[in-house]
Amino acid sequence: MIAFVSGGARSGKSAVAEALARVWRSPEPSGLVYLATARVSDEEMATRIARHRRDRGEDWLTLEAPRAIAAALDHVPAGSSVLLDCLTLWASQVMFEAGLDEEAGRRMLRQLIDTARRREITLVVVSNDLNEDLPPRDEMVWRYLAFLQRLHRDLAHQADRVVEVVAGCSIDWKGAACEKNSADGKPSDDGKGDAS
Amino acid sequence: MQLFIGGACAGKGDIVTARFPDACWLKAGTLGVVGKGDALAGWCERLASAPVVVITGWADWLARALADEGDDDRLRQRLVDILQVMLEAEKETGGEVVLILPEMGRGIVPLASEERRWRDLAGWFNQDAACRADAVWYVRHGLAQCLKRPC
Repeated sequence: MIAFVSGGARSGKSAVAEALARVWRSPEPSGLVYLATARVSDEEMATRIARHRRDRGEDWLTLEAPRAIAAALDHVPAGSSVLLDCLTLWASQVMFEAGLDEEAGRRMLRQLIDTARRREITLVVVSNDLNEDLPPRDEMVWRYLAFLQRLHRDLAHQADRVVEVVAGCSIDWKGAACEKNSADGKPSDDGKGDAS
Repeated sequence: MQLFIGGACAGKGDIVTARFPDACWLKAGTLGVVGKGDALAGWCERLASAPVVVITGWADWLARALADEGDDDRLRQRLVDILQVMLEAEKETGGEVVLILPEMGRGIVPLASEERRWRDLAGWFNQDAACRADAVWYVRHGLAQCLKRPC
C-alpha cells in the first residue's frame, strides 16, 4: 500500500500520515518506521525535528536518509509501515546538493516505490503543496517547482491513496471515497467525478 | 464551456489532452489585445472548424493585459465580455471551449503592486469563468475533481 499525503505548511500533514501508517502497520513491535529526509543543519531544524519526534511517540524507529531513500528500506523489516517525511526537502537535496537532474530524481522515487511494493512495505509519503502561488520569476525556483510537481504527479499516479490535508482534515483525491476518479486523472465521461 | 483550474505544473494539460484528444489548442496570446473589437475573430473561425478548442497560456496573457489597462474594474469587465463572446460562439457553432486556468492565489500577498493586480485579476477571471461554465474541474498532482457538473 502506497499513500501520498500533501498540504500547506502546518496543515497537519504529518499527523494524518502517521495515522495512516498506524492503521496499516504490521503487528510486529518494530512495525513503524519514520524515514527522515531532514538533516540537522542548525538549531531551528533540531528544534523542529525534536518536536516531530516528541509528537510521534516512542513506538517509531527513526532512520535518516537525506538522499538514498530506496536504500534505506533495506534496513526495514518486510511488512513494516514506513512514513517518509518529507519529499519537498528530499527533492531540494537531490536537485541542489547532489546536482541530479529530473530524470535521475524520478528514477530514485520509482526505486523507492518498487522496493516498497516488492518487500510488502506500506509507504506513506508526505510533501508540501507549493504550486498555487504566483509563478516564480527566478529560473532556479521555477525548475525546482517543476521538478517537485513532476515527482508529485508520478507519486499520485503510483499511489493507492492520495490525500490533501487542510487544517488537519483529510480530503481524499484517490482511493478511499474517491473510486470514481480514474487513476490517470481523466475525468469520468459522465462528469460525476467526486467533488467531496 | 469547461474549465480545468490548478496550480503550476499540476498536470492540467495532460488531463485535457487525455479528455479531448482531437481538440485544437490555442495560446491565449493569439486572442490579441484585450478590448480590441476584432481580437476574437480568428479564434471564432477556429471554433467553427474544430469541435473542441482548448485555450491555455492565460497567466502570461493576463500579465500583459494589466500593462495595457490600468483600471481593474474595466479590465475585469472586458474579460467577462470575452467569455460572453466565447459562449455565444459555442452556441452558434455547436463546438465547445475548454479553458486551462491557473490557480495562483494561495501564496502570501505579493509586495509588488503589479503582482497583487496580477493575482487579483487571475482570481476574478477564474470566478467569472466558473460561474458561466458548464463544468469546472480542479486539478492537483495529475488528478481531477469535479467542482461543478454539467446540468
